[in-house]
Amino acid sequence: MIEYRNVTKSYGGSPVVKEICLTIEKGEFVVLVGPSGCGKTTTLKMLNRLIPMDGGDILINGKSVKEQNPEILRRNIGYVIQQIGLFPNMTVEQNITVVPRMMKWDKERRRKRARELMELVDMDYDTYANKYPSELSGGQQQRIGVLRALAVDPPVILMDEPFSALDPITRDSLQDEIKRLQKQLNKTVIFVTHDMNEAIKLADRIVFMYDGKILQAAPPEEMLRSPADGIIREFMGKHVQKIRMEDELNCSDIMRTRIATISPQRKTLECVELMSQYEVNSLVVVDDNKNYLGIVTIEDIRDHGEAGQPVEALIRTDAPCVGTGQHARDAFRILVEKKADYVVVVTPENRLAGIVTKSSISKAMASALWGEG
Amino acid sequence: MPWNRVWEHCTLILTALGFIIVIGMLLGIISYLYPRLRKPILTVVDILQTIPSLATLGIIMILMGGNQKTVITGIVLYSLLPIVRNTNTGLNSVSPAVKEAAKGMGMTRAYQLFHIDLPLAFPLIFTGIRIAAVTSISVAVFGTFVGGGGLGAVIYQGIRVSSMKLILFGTAALMVMALVIDGIMGLIERRLYRRIGLQVPD
Ligand SMILES: Nc1ncnc2c1ncn2[C@@H]1O[C@H](COP(=O)(O)OP(=O)(O)OP(=O)(O)O)[C@@H](O)[C@H]1O
Ligand SMILES: [Mg+2]
Repeated sequence: MIEYRNVTKSYGGSPVVKEICLTIEKGEFVVLVGPSGCGKTTTLKMLNRLIPMDGGDILINGKSVKEQNPEILRRNIGYVIQQIGLFPNMTVEQNITVVPRMMKWDKERRRKRARELMELVDMDYDTYANKYPSELSGGQQQRIGVLRALAVDPPVILMDEPFSALDPITRDSLQDEIKRLQKQLNKTVIFVTHDMNEAIKLADRIVFMYDGKILQAAPPEEMLRSPADGIIREFMGKHVQKIRMEDELNCSDIMRTRIATISPQRKTLECVELMSQYEVNSLVVVDDNKNYLGIVTIEDIRDHGEAGQPVEALIRTDAPCVGTGQHARDAFRILVEKKADYVVVVTPENRLAGIVTKSSISKAMASALWGEG
Repeated sequence: MPWNRVWEHCTLILTALGFIIVIGMLLGIISYLYPRLRKPILTVVDILQTIPSLATLGIIMILMGGNQKTVITGIVLYSLLPIVRNTNTGLNSVSPAVKEAAKGMGMTRAYQLFHIDLPLAFPLIFTGIRIAAVTSISVAVFGTFVGGGGLGAVIYQGIRVSSMKLILFGTAALMVMALVIDGIMGLIERRLYRRIGLQVPD
């Protein structure tokens, strides 16, 4: 359990964090949200003493952080930052096991732990352990950043806008992964973002900060239903996509339009390259006029593909598909029934319009809950 | 042909290089850890290099007498700059994100210096060593005027007895030495940069 007690911080006489009080339960996923400069990062970094506090106290399981050696304290708190900050001189495995090495774990134990951790995010040990960070995509790098923070199994993980530098598709899959890991490993996570959609998707409780103070701390649904302050309402209005409520919701209202596509003439290897770049396991195939042709999956390429062959031959036309004008709930039903990752949305002229994913649903529900605004 | 002079020249610069690396890196690290000392340290090594090397050698000879130690001291003082500067620049150019992560993982200052900062700065430090090595070769030529021997002695003797053969031998030996050292170190340098995923400069 973490307890902020009247925590205060000033820079040059002007307070940036003002008497913050906050209690976080074990296993809770807390997301700090608020406009730029409201003190989120400062609040986070006072916990692992990267920033010293001026007044008040922070207790972890009843023990003040001030009484602990800062280095020992930090080794027992996971830390993930926006700029990732992997050590470029170390391999993936060395990066992951950097804290275990400081804690003098023997080599066998470190190796075993690295394997274990990489399995958690489906990265093959033999493929990646000896690569250097510069050889990885942004999404893979941040996965390693997360594993590095988990290495000695710390009960608390701090994350400061960890996914905001990634492209939307990669960000989406990392959000799913971190939420799954947090549940699976029962971690307490404090996560900073200024993306309201991200907060809604991840948080057990959203803590809304403004000008160094906490305006409201509540579960996402509650904050959406009854924001405690006009400022919160306004902030959410800017960040949650506005869409019509209830049954009038069409697939085109909730679909995502920035998606990874490929043309049928491209070769299988390019296709695999693109998939790994976006960290997806299938791509939507469209011709030069954006006509929807089908999808191509990594399994098909692996099982039936030959290097240098155009992906044309591997196109699957049986992927779930809906029209732009169809009700959104049709797309939801298909997602759930077919256990698909996404549903393709096409226009009446059979042009690709977008895709609907599970997180499209949560966004839509969030907006619906929050009301007309 | 005075092959022993070639050997003598090599010993001079290799010994000097050992001192340059140790002293240069130490000064570079100190100026990184204590930013207030950065300016004074860099200014002093900078000034040392602007004094003509023959004059430096002359001054040291008056203080220490004429022998090999004088030449080595001269080379060291004259060639410190690239290593001190590159060590400092290299350490300072480690990305703030990496430093923040290092601190956030619970590294102490010393641990971070040895496991993160220095390894990352090393390619640039190595560039400094390479520059210093090449400069040392030509500075050592003046060694003969303060009793240090080396290839300078061969060339100087060639001038005195008007022997084209001797002058060419000395010059060719110096050039080969410079090219070989520069070439080998250049190769190593390239590998160092590539290893940490950096572009090789220029
Ligand atoms: N080292 C510093 N010196 C002076 N002022 C600072 C310093 N660090 C932060 N501040 C100020 O403190 C305030 C809070 O900063 P903080 O980084 O906590 O904000 P934030 O909520 O994380 O913002 P963002 O969303 O932009 O990351 C800001 O107004 C910032 O300008
Ligand atoms: Mg911040």
